Amino acid sequence: MVNNKRTFSSILLLLIGLLFISMIVSVSIGQVNISFFDSCKILLYKFTGLNIGNVDTVIPKMISDVIWQIRIPRILLVVIVGAGLALCGSVMQASIQNPLADPYILGISSGASLGATFSIILGHKLSSFLGEFDLIICAFLGAILATFLVLVLSSVGEKMSVIKLILAGTVVNALFTALSNLFVYFAKDAEGVRSVSFWTMGSLSSAEWKDIPLIAAIVIIIGVFFLSQWRIMNAMLMGDDAAMTLGINLNVYRKIYLVISAILTAVIVSTCGIIGFVGLVIPHIVRIFTGSNHRYLVPIVILVGAIFLIWTDLLARTVISNSELPIGIVTSLFGAPVFMHMLIKKKYGFGGN
Amino acid sequence: MKLTVNNLSFSVSDLEIIKSISLKVNEGQFVGIIGPNGCGKSTLLKNIYKVTKPSSGMIFLDDLDIVKSSPKAIAKKMGVVGQFNNTNFDFTIRDMVMMGRTPHKKMLESDSKEDEDLVNCALRKVNLKQHELKHFSYLSGGEKQRVILARALAQEPQFLILDEPTNHLDIKYQIQILSLVQSLKIGTLAALHDLSLAAMYCEYLYVIKDGQVLTHGKPEEILTPALVKEVYEVDCQIYQNEYTKNLVIAYHPNIAI
Repeated sequence: MVNNKRTFSSILLLLIGLLFISMIVSVSIGQVNISFFDSCKILLYKFTGLNIGNVDTVIPKMISDVIWQIRIPRILLVVIVGAGLALCGSVMQASIQNPLADPYILGISSGASLGATFSIILGHKLSSFLGEFDLIICAFLGAILATFLVLVLSSVGEKMSVIKLILAGTVVNALFTALSNLFVYFAKDAEGVRSVSFWTMGSLSSAEWKDIPLIAAIVIIIGVFFLSQWRIMNAMLMGDDAAMTLGINLNVYRKIYLVISAILTAVIVSTCGIIGFVGLVIPHIVRIFTGSNHRYLVPIVILVGAIFLIWTDLLARTVISNSELPIGIVTSLFGAPVFMHMLIKKKYGFGGN
Repeated sequence: MKLTVNNLSFSVSDLEIIKSISLKVNEGQFVGIIGPNGCGKSTLLKNIYKVTKPSSGMIFLDDLDIVKSSPKAIAKKMGVVGQFNNTNFDFTIRDMVMMGRTPHKKMLESDSKEDEDLVNCALRKVNLKQHELKHFSYLSGGEKQRVILARALAQEPQFLILDEPTNHLDIKYQIQILSLVQSLKIGTLAALHDLSLAAMYCEYLYVIKDGQVLTHGKPEEILTPALVKEVYEVDCQIYQNEYTKNLVIAYHPNIAI
């Protein structure tokens, strides 16, 4: 358990180092393998403009283009998505005071799926008179609509309770999934149905430089916000009454946190589809080492989430030659055995006693 | 600090649980609330520590209006030891006690030397300093309750509320916790089940039945067999014992079942 600043700082430094090494390794490996040091050179040159010999002549332009145009944006997106999902998972687990929570528990994934399905299957039919239906925007709107519905449902009547939130999430989930399935059932084109099912498995292959700044900015701002909230998130785990005696009205903070992390999850889901398990498993794995104190938990969760997704993405890209597995499949294939192992070992109580 | 409660009422959907209760705890006074299960003791305390909002009435801590002030402003002055100490997540004892500093901290402020000292001091007072890195969820009920008391002490409260703090504790810890609180010499309002302990520690008692104050006064003046019969429907004898000179209540087992 991490319980002093020195251990914490060394773990943090170690993880930051590991993150950078993972990024460079991941950049080097792919259908075209590039040596680790060449990758370092290209990165150094591109990021700092440092003159380390004429890179363009030492290393073929094709290779530096593969790295700069295709792999770097993808790795950056992977880092952002991994960090964001893991962060949202730990925030949700604290806000709902339930170790089973993950970023999708409030129906966000089904909302995004509905938006994406709508866009893929009906988009081109309606585009003639409604303009282009952008998949990302539709998925985002679907996710936000689902969250909004859940929050409204759970605040009707008396004050919002955790049980009402979870139930509302389940109901909205069922409703939106049914609607998506309805679209798919009546869809005539096989290609569209295939796209929908691929979308729900998650993909990071569409990453482009132009998408990175916005999503990076959102993740960084929200990340910094939650890093500053560790005292309140700790008090949250004590329950509503105890938190009140520590000067914190949880009803207010819970709503703020749910909305903010829902926005972040919606941005992530709409960009890269549904990537499961990261948001659920990473906070649990980190808790084994850090305990529940969010002062240490949150920064480490962010780093571990990013590192975990880099390696699963690498696996997804390379395990089958000339092809790519959807990342959502790999995270679950990876995550499920880890979770099973934790269940069997029983040393870790998953928060329960 | 001094606590003043004036004509406090509280209802949940048409059911009036607290009916115009007034009470007062003077500076440094240890005041007890006794009454049968469901009489409204806990609800009354919850209104005072802001978990529920009174339907009407006023609650003041010195000049601070508890109903209107922010939870943070109240938590800086008032500590609460209640029965809500179960958490689904694991913390060390030290982390738990450090949470007592929460109301005194700004958003990005880290723990100062002063905070560490206050936490150490609180841990020593409840005899848990040497176990500070143990996991809270593995502790016994008595140890948990001492951690919660230490957390309340780390808040540097000028007033304490105890909501049946000695439930489930063995007699040693019951005495230890109440003696420790008594030695703080700050205003304290405690809901207690055990009448002998209430008589031993409280300078003043409020007896509550059906959401109303039935009577109040010094323990030795108001605790009579007639009162116990009226409140708890149990026959008893009350006398001063030779050993501690405190009141002893001997209950008669005859009761309508």
